[in-house]
Amino acid sequence: MADYPDRYQYTAEHEWVSVDDDIGTIGITHHAQEELGDVVFVELPEVGASFEQNARFGTIEAVKAVCDLYAPVSGEVVEVNKTIEDHLQVLARDPWDKGWLIRVKPDDTSTSHLLDAEGYEASLGEADA
Amino acid sequence: MSRSSVLSSARSDSASPRTWRLIESWDASPEFNMGLDEALLDDPGAPPTLRLYTWSPDTLSLGYFQKWADVPAAASAATVVRRITGGGAIHHQAELTFSIVLPQTHALFRDPVPLSYERIHAALIAALSEFGVKAALAGPGGLRSDREQTGMCFHASTPLDVAWGTRKGAGSAQRRRGGRVLHHGSIKLGSTPLEGEIATLEEFLPAENVVQTFAAALLRAMEASFAVRFERQEPSAAEQSAARRLGERYSSAAFLHRR
Repeated sequence: MADYPDRYQYTAEHEWVSVDDDIGTIGITHHAQEELGDVVFVELPEVGASFEQNARFGTIEAVKAVCDLYAPVSGEVVEVNKTIEDHLQVLARDPWDKGWLIRVKPDDTSTSHLLDAEGYEASLGEADA
Repeated sequence: MSRSSVLSSARSDSASPRTWRLIESWDASPEFNMGLDEALLDDPGAPPTLRLYTWSPDTLSLGYFQKWADVPAAASAATVVRRITGGGAIHHQAELTFSIVLPQTHALFRDPVPLSYERIHAALIAALSEFGVKAALAGPGGLRSDREQTGMCFHASTPLDVAWGTRKGAGSAQRRRGGRVLHHGSIKLGSTPLEGEIATLEEFLPAENVVQTFAAALLRAMEASFAVRFERQEPSAAEQSAARRLGERYSSAAFLHRR
Protein backbone atom coordinates (compact mmCIF):
# COMPACT_ATOMS: atom_id res chain seq x y z
CA MET A 1 0.00 0.00 0.00
CA ALA A 2 1.38 3.35 -0.97
CA ASP A 3 1.87 5.85 1.81
CA TYR A 4 -0.25 8.97 1.59
CA PRO A 5 1.53 11.96 3.09
CA ASP A 6 -0.17 13.34 6.20
CA ARG A 7 0.60 16.92 5.21
CA TYR A 8 -1.76 16.69 2.22
CA GLN A 9 -5.54 16.65 2.01
CA TYR A 10 -7.34 14.51 -0.56
CA THR A 11 -10.49 14.21 -2.63
CA ALA A 12 -12.31 10.96 -3.34
CA GLU A 13 -11.46 11.64 -7.01
CA HIS A 14 -7.76 11.25 -6.16
CA GLU A 15 -6.55 14.84 -6.19
CA TRP A 16 -4.33 16.05 -3.37
CA VAL A 17 -3.78 19.59 -2.07
CA SER A 18 -1.23 21.03 0.27
CA VAL A 19 -1.75 24.58 1.58
CA ASP A 20 1.36 26.48 2.68
CA ASP A 21 1.70 30.23 3.08
CA ASP A 22 -1.74 30.77 1.55
CA ILE A 23 -0.81 28.90 -1.63
CA GLY A 24 -2.45 25.57 -2.44
CA THR A 25 -0.44 23.08 -4.47
CA ILE A 26 -2.57 20.49 -6.28
CA GLY A 27 -1.68 17.14 -7.81
CA ILE A 28 -3.04 13.65 -8.34
CA THR A 29 -2.29 10.66 -6.18
CA HIS A 30 -0.18 7.63 -6.85
CA HIS A 31 -3.36 5.55 -6.64
CA ALA A 32 -5.01 7.50 -9.49
CA GLN A 33 -2.10 6.71 -11.75
CA GLU A 34 -2.10 3.06 -10.79
CA GLU A 35 -5.77 2.88 -11.72
CA LEU A 36 -5.33 4.70 -15.01
CA GLY A 37 -2.03 3.39 -16.28
CA ASP A 38 0.51 5.53 -18.10
CA VAL A 39 -0.55 9.13 -18.51
CA VAL A 40 0.05 10.35 -22.06
CA PHE A 41 -1.37 13.90 -22.04
CA VAL A 42 -2.18 16.52 -19.44
CA GLU A 43 -4.34 19.56 -20.09
CA LEU A 44 -3.96 22.26 -17.44
CA PRO A 45 -5.50 25.73 -17.07
CA GLU A 46 -3.72 29.01 -17.66
CA VAL A 47 -2.39 31.20 -14.86
CA GLY A 48 -5.16 33.60 -13.87
CA ALA A 49 -8.00 31.13 -14.34
CA SER A 50 -10.33 30.76 -11.36
CA PHE A 51 -12.14 27.68 -10.18
CA GLU A 52 -14.82 26.91 -7.68
CA GLN A 53 -14.26 24.00 -5.35
CA ASN A 54 -15.14 20.71 -7.11
CA ALA A 55 -15.09 22.37 -10.55
CA ARG A 56 -13.17 20.74 -13.39
CA PHE A 57 -9.79 22.39 -13.80
CA GLY A 58 -8.10 20.09 -16.28
CA THR A 59 -7.97 16.70 -17.94
CA ILE A 60 -5.51 13.89 -18.19
CA GLU A 61 -5.37 11.16 -20.78
CA ALA A 62 -3.99 7.79 -19.92
CA VAL A 63 -3.57 5.12 -22.56
CA LYS A 64 -7.16 3.99 -22.17
CA ALA A 65 -9.14 6.80 -20.52
CA VAL A 66 -9.54 10.55 -20.43
CA CYS A 67 -10.28 11.77 -16.91
CA ASP A 68 -11.29 15.15 -15.56
CA LEU A 69 -9.45 16.80 -12.69
CA TYR A 70 -11.45 18.51 -9.94
CA ALA A 71 -10.34 21.45 -7.84
CA PRO A 72 -10.10 20.46 -4.16
CA VAL A 73 -10.30 24.14 -3.19
CA SER A 74 -11.63 27.22 -4.95
CA GLY A 75 -9.24 29.94 -6.00
CA GLU A 76 -7.14 31.52 -8.71
CA VAL A 77 -4.37 29.67 -10.52
CA VAL A 78 -1.03 31.37 -9.83
CA GLU A 79 1.36 28.79 -11.29
CA VAL A 80 1.12 25.83 -13.67
CA ASN A 81 3.68 23.04 -13.82
CA LYS A 82 4.50 23.35 -17.51
CA THR A 83 7.39 20.92 -17.11
CA ILE A 84 4.90 18.11 -16.63
CA GLU A 85 3.43 18.44 -20.12
CA ASP A 86 6.73 17.45 -21.69
CA HIS A 87 7.91 15.12 -18.95
CA LEU A 88 4.90 13.06 -17.98
CA GLN A 89 7.07 10.37 -16.44
CA VAL A 90 7.62 12.79 -13.54
CA LEU A 91 3.95 12.36 -12.62
CA ALA A 92 4.40 8.67 -12.00
CA ARG A 93 7.85 8.95 -10.47
CA ASP A 94 7.16 11.77 -8.04
CA PRO A 95 3.42 12.51 -7.73
CA TRP A 96 3.85 14.20 -4.34
CA ASP A 97 6.54 16.73 -5.16
CA LYS A 98 7.86 17.37 -8.67
CA GLY A 99 4.65 15.95 -10.15
CA TRP A 100 2.44 18.78 -8.84
CA LEU A 101 0.02 20.18 -11.44
CA ILE A 102 -1.11 23.67 -10.43
CA ARG A 103 -0.73 26.17 -7.59
CA VAL A 104 -3.71 28.28 -6.58
CA LYS A 105 -4.38 31.17 -4.25
CA PRO A 106 -7.33 29.71 -2.38
CA ASP A 107 -10.38 31.83 -1.66
CA ASP A 108 -10.53 30.01 1.65
CA THR A 109 -7.57 28.16 3.09
CA SER A 110 -9.80 25.83 5.09
CA THR A 111 -9.49 22.24 3.93
CA SER A 112 -11.83 20.69 6.46
CA HIS A 113 -14.13 19.49 3.65
CA LEU A 114 -11.35 17.26 2.32
CA LEU A 115 -10.13 13.83 3.38
CA ASP A 116 -7.02 13.38 5.45
CA ALA A 117 -4.55 10.67 4.51
CA GLU A 118 -6.25 8.10 6.70
CA GLY A 119 -9.69 8.98 5.32
CA TYR A 120 -8.43 8.81 1.76
CA GLU A 121 -6.87 5.41 2.26
CA ALA A 122 -10.11 4.22 3.85
CA SER A 123 -12.05 5.47 0.81
CA LEU A 124 -9.82 3.42 -1.45
CA GLY A 125 -10.58 0.36 0.63
CA GLU A 126 -14.30 0.95 0.27
CA ALA A 127 -14.01 1.37 -3.49
CA ASP A 128 -12.04 -1.83 -3.81
CA ALA A 129 -14.28 -3.89 -1.54
CA MET B 1 -12.20 -11.80 -10.04
CA SER B 2 -14.96 -14.23 -9.27
CA ARG B 3 -18.30 -14.02 -11.03
CA SER B 4 -20.04 -13.30 -7.74
CA SER B 5 -17.90 -10.23 -7.10
CA VAL B 6 -18.39 -9.02 -10.67
CA LEU B 7 -22.08 -9.02 -9.95
CA SER B 8 -21.77 -7.62 -6.45
CA SER B 9 -23.39 -4.33 -7.38
CA ALA B 10 -26.69 -6.03 -8.11
CA ARG B 11 -29.45 -4.30 -6.22
CA SER B 12 -31.34 -7.43 -5.35
CA ASP B 13 -30.23 -10.76 -4.03
CA SER B 14 -32.10 -12.62 -6.72
CA ALA B 15 -30.31 -14.15 -9.66
CA SER B 16 -32.55 -12.35 -12.13
CA PRO B 17 -30.68 -10.02 -14.48
CA ARG B 18 -30.74 -6.29 -13.94
CA THR B 19 -32.31 -4.16 -16.62
CA TRP B 20 -30.25 -1.72 -18.64
CA ARG B 21 -31.75 0.77 -21.01
CA LEU B 22 -30.95 0.30 -24.68
CA ILE B 23 -31.05 3.37 -26.90
CA GLU B 24 -30.64 2.78 -30.63
CA SER B 25 -29.86 5.75 -32.87
CA TRP B 26 -29.57 4.65 -36.47
CA ASP B 27 -28.16 7.11 -39.00
CA ALA B 28 -28.11 9.85 -36.38
CA SER B 29 -26.25 13.12 -36.81
CA PRO B 30 -22.73 13.29 -35.39
CA GLU B 31 -23.72 16.16 -33.12
CA PHE B 32 -26.66 14.21 -31.70
CA ASN B 33 -24.58 11.09 -31.17
CA MET B 34 -21.87 12.93 -29.28
CA GLY B 35 -24.25 15.24 -27.43
CA LEU B 36 -26.40 12.40 -26.13
CA ASP B 37 -23.37 10.48 -24.87
CA GLU B 38 -22.22 13.56 -22.97
CA ALA B 39 -25.71 14.19 -21.59
CA LEU B 40 -25.81 10.63 -20.24
CA LEU B 41 -22.30 10.90 -18.81
CA ASP B 42 -23.11 14.08 -16.92
CA ASP B 43 -26.50 12.99 -15.57
CA PRO B 44 -26.00 11.06 -12.32
CA GLY B 45 -29.70 10.16 -12.45
CA ALA B 46 -29.48 8.45 -15.85
CA PRO B 47 -30.12 4.70 -15.69
CA PRO B 48 -27.44 2.24 -16.83
CA THR B 49 -27.49 2.69 -20.58
CA LEU B 50 -26.11 1.01 -23.67
CA ARG B 51 -26.35 2.93 -26.91
CA LEU B 52 -25.95 1.42 -30.34
CA TYR B 53 -25.61 3.89 -33.16
CA THR B 54 -24.55 4.70 -36.68
CA TRP B 55 -23.71 8.04 -38.20
CA SER B 56 -25.20 10.11 -41.02
CA PRO B 57 -23.38 11.58 -42.77
CA ASP B 58 -20.24 9.46 -42.55
CA THR B 59 -18.07 11.19 -39.97
CA LEU B 60 -14.44 11.22 -38.93
CA SER B 61 -14.17 11.52 -35.14
CA LEU B 62 -10.95 12.69 -33.53
CA GLY B 63 -9.83 11.66 -30.05
CA TYR B 64 -10.11 14.33 -27.36
CA PHE B 65 -6.37 14.96 -27.17
CA GLN B 66 -5.47 14.52 -30.82
CA LYS B 67 -3.95 17.39 -32.73
CA TRP B 68 -5.83 18.21 -35.92
CA ALA B 69 -2.53 18.24 -37.81
CA ASP B 70 -1.70 14.74 -36.60
CA VAL B 71 -4.70 13.24 -38.41
CA PRO B 72 -4.08 13.79 -42.13
CA ALA B 73 -7.56 12.49 -42.98
CA ALA B 74 -9.15 15.39 -41.12
CA ALA B 75 -8.23 17.85 -43.86
CA SER B 76 -10.13 15.94 -46.52
CA ALA B 77 -13.02 14.43 -44.54
CA ALA B 78 -16.34 16.10 -45.27
CA THR B 79 -17.62 15.83 -41.70
CA VAL B 80 -15.42 15.84 -38.60
CA VAL B 81 -16.14 15.92 -34.87
CA ARG B 82 -13.91 15.74 -31.84
CA ARG B 83 -14.96 13.17 -29.22
CA ILE B 84 -14.65 13.67 -25.46
CA THR B 85 -13.14 10.19 -25.19
CA GLY B 86 -9.47 9.59 -25.88
CA GLY B 87 -7.58 7.51 -28.38
CA GLY B 88 -7.25 7.88 -32.14
CA ALA B 89 -9.50 8.96 -35.00
CA ILE B 90 -12.26 6.73 -36.35
CA HIS B 91 -14.07 6.94 -39.67
CA HIS B 92 -17.68 6.14 -38.87
CA GLN B 93 -18.61 4.55 -42.17
CA ALA B 94 -19.59 0.88 -42.53
CA GLU B 95 -19.30 0.89 -38.77
CA LEU B 96 -21.26 0.27 -35.58
CA THR B 97 -20.59 2.44 -32.55
CA PHE B 98 -21.66 1.50 -29.04
CA SER B 99 -21.47 3.47 -25.84
CA ILE B 100 -21.92 2.29 -22.28
CA VAL B 101 -22.62 4.86 -19.56
CA LEU B 102 -22.54 3.79 -15.92
CA PRO B 103 -21.36 4.97 -12.52
CA GLN B 104 -17.67 4.36 -11.97
CA THR B 105 -18.56 2.22 -8.95
CA HIS B 106 -20.38 -0.27 -11.18
CA ALA B 107 -18.75 -3.70 -11.28
CA LEU B 108 -17.98 -3.26 -14.98
CA PHE B 109 -15.82 -0.20 -14.35
CA ARG B 110 -14.47 -0.82 -10.87
CA ASP B 111 -10.76 -1.47 -10.36
CA PRO B 112 -7.92 -0.38 -12.66
CA VAL B 113 -9.11 0.90 -16.03
CA PRO B 114 -7.62 -1.97 -18.10
CA LEU B 115 -9.91 -4.46 -16.36
CA SER B 116 -12.99 -2.69 -17.70
CA TYR B 117 -11.64 -3.15 -21.22
CA GLU B 118 -11.09 -6.83 -20.58
CA ARG B 119 -14.70 -7.22 -19.38
CA ILE B 120 -16.24 -5.35 -22.30
CA HIS B 121 -13.99 -6.98 -24.85
CA ALA B 122 -14.88 -10.42 -23.53
CA ALA B 123 -18.49 -9.70 -24.51
CA LEU B 124 -17.38 -8.36 -27.87
CA ILE B 125 -15.28 -11.45 -28.55
CA ALA B 126 -18.26 -13.64 -27.66
CA ALA B 127 -20.45 -11.72 -30.12
CA LEU B 128 -17.83 -12.08 -32.84
CA SER B 129 -17.58 -15.82 -32.25
CA GLU B 130 -21.22 -16.17 -33.34
CA PHE B 131 -20.02 -15.43 -36.86
CA GLY B 132 -16.96 -17.63 -36.71
CA VAL B 133 -14.59 -14.75 -36.05
CA LYS B 134 -11.67 -16.01 -33.97
CA ALA B 135 -11.07 -12.76 -32.13
CA ALA B 136 -8.88 -12.33 -29.07
CA LEU B 137 -7.07 -9.60 -27.17
CA ALA B 138 -4.10 -8.43 -29.23
CA GLY B 139 -1.51 -8.95 -26.50
CA PRO B 140 1.98 -7.48 -26.69
CA GLY B 141 4.03 -7.09 -29.84
CA GLY B 142 1.85 -4.95 -32.09
CA LEU B 143 -0.39 -5.89 -35.01
CA ARG B 144 -0.08 -6.08 -38.79
CA SER B 145 -2.62 -3.27 -39.01
CA ASP B 146 -0.41 -0.82 -37.10
CA ARG B 147 0.53 2.21 -39.21
CA GLU B 148 2.48 5.27 -38.24
CA GLN B 149 1.35 8.84 -38.74
CA THR B 150 -2.25 8.23 -39.80
CA GLY B 151 -3.64 9.15 -36.37
CA MET B 152 -6.32 6.50 -36.93
CA CYS B 153 -7.46 4.43 -33.97
CA PHE B 154 -7.47 1.19 -35.96
CA HIS B 155 -3.86 1.80 -37.00
CA ALA B 156 -2.59 1.97 -33.40
CA SER B 157 -2.93 -1.06 -31.18
CA THR B 158 -2.53 -1.77 -27.49
CA PRO B 159 -2.40 -5.24 -25.90
CA LEU B 160 -6.04 -4.91 -24.73
CA ASP B 161 -7.46 -4.32 -28.19
CA VAL B 162 -9.65 -6.90 -29.90
CA ALA B 163 -7.99 -8.36 -32.98
CA TRP B 164 -8.38 -11.16 -35.48
CA GLY B 165 -6.09 -12.17 -38.29
CA THR B 166 -3.41 -10.13 -36.43
CA ARG B 167 -5.28 -6.96 -37.34
CA LYS B 168 -7.15 -4.59 -35.05
CA GLY B 169 -10.91 -5.12 -35.19
CA ALA B 170 -12.38 -2.83 -32.52
CA GLY B 171 -11.71 0.67 -31.32
CA SER B 172 -12.38 1.71 -27.75
CA ALA B 173 -11.93 4.71 -25.48
CA GLN B 174 -13.29 6.11 -22.24
CA ARG B 175 -14.08 9.36 -20.48
CA ARG B 176 -14.31 9.32 -16.71
CA ARG B 177 -15.70 12.28 -14.83
CA GLY B 178 -17.92 13.09 -11.91
CA GLY B 179 -17.85 9.50 -10.75
CA ARG B 180 -19.25 8.24 -14.05
CA VAL B 181 -17.80 6.51 -17.10
CA LEU B 182 -18.55 6.80 -20.83
CA HIS B 183 -17.07 3.89 -22.79
CA HIS B 184 -16.99 4.14 -26.58
CA GLY B 185 -16.60 1.07 -28.76
CA SER B 186 -16.37 0.80 -32.54
CA ILE B 187 -16.58 -2.17 -34.89
CA LYS B 188 -15.87 -1.91 -38.61
CA LEU B 189 -18.42 -3.85 -40.60
CA GLY B 190 -16.67 -3.23 -43.90
CA SER B 191 -13.46 -1.68 -45.12
CA THR B 192 -13.25 2.04 -45.80
CA PRO B 193 -10.51 4.03 -47.56
CA LEU B 194 -9.23 5.84 -44.48
CA GLU B 195 -8.69 2.64 -42.50
CA GLY B 196 -7.07 0.22 -44.89
CA GLU B 197 -5.59 -3.11 -43.86
CA ILE B 198 -7.61 -3.48 -40.66
CA ALA B 199 -9.87 -6.33 -39.51
CA THR B 200 -13.50 -5.98 -40.55
CA LEU B 201 -16.57 -8.18 -40.47
CA GLU B 202 -17.06 -7.97 -44.22
CA GLU B 203 -16.26 -11.60 -44.99
CA PHE B 204 -18.11 -12.98 -41.95
CA LEU B 205 -21.52 -11.35 -42.18
CA PRO B 206 -24.24 -11.52 -44.82
CA ALA B 207 -24.34 -8.43 -46.99
CA GLU B 208 -27.93 -7.64 -46.00
CA ASN B 209 -28.78 -6.03 -42.67
CA VAL B 210 -25.20 -6.18 -41.55
CA VAL B 211 -25.60 -3.58 -38.80
CA GLN B 212 -28.72 -5.15 -37.35
CA THR B 213 -27.27 -8.64 -37.54
CA PHE B 214 -24.17 -7.76 -35.61
CA ALA B 215 -26.03 -5.47 -33.19
CA ALA B 216 -28.34 -8.34 -32.24
CA ALA B 217 -25.37 -10.60 -31.55
CA LEU B 218 -23.68 -7.92 -29.47
CA LEU B 219 -26.82 -7.49 -27.37
CA ARG B 220 -27.03 -11.23 -26.74
CA ALA B 221 -23.37 -11.39 -25.76
CA MET B 222 -23.58 -8.39 -23.44
CA GLU B 223 -26.72 -9.72 -21.78
CA ALA B 224 -24.90 -12.95 -21.03
CA SER B 225 -21.55 -11.40 -20.06
CA PHE B 226 -22.89 -8.58 -17.91
CA ALA B 227 -25.91 -10.51 -16.53
CA VAL B 228 -28.27 -7.79 -17.69
CA ARG B 229 -31.41 -7.56 -19.81
CA PHE B 230 -31.81 -4.71 -22.29
CA GLU B 231 -35.01 -2.74 -22.59
CA ARG B 232 -35.32 -0.58 -25.70
CA GLN B 233 -36.28 3.00 -24.95
CA GLU B 234 -36.11 6.37 -26.59
CA PRO B 235 -34.04 9.02 -24.82
CA SER B 236 -36.26 11.23 -22.66
CA ALA B 237 -37.31 14.64 -23.94
CA ALA B 238 -34.86 16.24 -21.50
CA GLU B 239 -32.05 14.02 -22.76
CA GLN B 240 -32.85 14.80 -26.37
CA SER B 241 -32.87 18.48 -25.58
CA ALA B 242 -29.54 18.20 -23.73
CA ALA B 243 -28.10 16.20 -26.63
CA ARG B 244 -29.00 18.94 -29.10
CA ARG B 245 -27.61 21.66 -26.83
CA LEU B 246 -24.37 19.83 -26.01
CA GLY B 247 -23.94 18.44 -29.50
CA GLU B 248 -23.31 21.75 -31.23
CA ARG B 249 -19.84 22.00 -29.72
CA TYR B 250 -18.55 18.78 -31.26
CA SER B 251 -18.40 20.04 -34.83
CA SER B 252 -17.56 23.65 -33.96
CA ALA B 253 -14.32 25.06 -35.35
CA ALA B 254 -13.21 26.07 -31.87
CA PHE B 255 -13.51 22.54 -30.49
CA LEU B 256 -12.18 20.81 -33.61
CA HIS B 257 -9.10 23.01 -33.81
CA ARG B 258 -8.46 23.33 -30.11
CA ARG B 259 -5.35 21.23 -30.70
